[in-house]
Amino acid sequence: MFTVDQLTDVLIAISHPTRRAIIGRLANGPARFLDVAKPFDTALNAVTKHLKLLERAGLIQRRKQGREVYISFRGEPLRQVAGWVHDYERFWNERLDEFQQYFRDKKKETK
Amino acid sequence: MENSSRTLEFRFERTIPAPLRMVFDGWLDPKVPGNLWNAAEKFSLDAKVDGLFFWTLNGTSHYGRFTVVERPAQIQHTWVSPKTLGKESIVTVTFKKQGEDTLMTLVHSGIPDTDAGKGHEKGWNYFLDIFPRLFRKGSRKEK
Repeated sequence: MFTVDQLTDVLIAISHPTRRAIIGRLANGPARFLDVAKPFDTALNAVTKHLKLLERAGLIQRRKQGREVYISFRGEPLRQVAGWVHDYERFWNERLDEFQQYFRDKKKETK
Repeated sequence: MENSSRTLEFRFERTIPAPLRMVFDGWLDPKVPGNLWNAAEKFSLDAKVDGLFFWTLNGTSHYGRFTVVERPAQIQHTWVSPKTLGKESIVTVTFKKQGEDTLMTLVHSGIPDTDAGKGHEKGWNYFLDIFPRLFRKGSRKEK
């Protein structure tokens, strides 16, 4: 089950262009930390912070292999989010909100 | 085209500040904002059991057949659109008296689970398209 907190973590994680770029890089396959950090014109410390947010959202995982730590992408949280924002969910919510508002306005007018 | 045996169900509830019969009738009245017919660019509606409807929005046609029309308690119809891959999904709208108001429950079931699959297939474009919209709606918190 996908909780509201998990959803928030995922949305925050992918709200930043650098983190989206990191995920884009990792979607091609696991990479070492320095390889992940290389394309970005930012301090390694900042990349570490981005990775922590991605890890908290469950979007990446670290795996030690010998001396190296490999970071890999996990797609499941994004699929969960995709379900959350299914077109029909948005569609019916918009319809019903408008329907409800119509009757609220009508009630106000008759008072 | 993708074939999926898994289906999705979405459930929505709203308390409508109006009497039961008015809300039931409003859901089928094209003059009332929020219902399908009001939003449609073109529509045809025959709200009786085995009556058919179609409506178009943004050039996309949706078709269906009424399976339950029980005033003022329930409306049920099938729902066929490109997103259901031509299969019949089911929309059930139930109305219950709640004091002076009406509790309206809409369940859309039997929707082929294609978006999750598409999310996987289409990759990042899907998310990059939807998230700016999401964040405009809510409070954006950058960390």
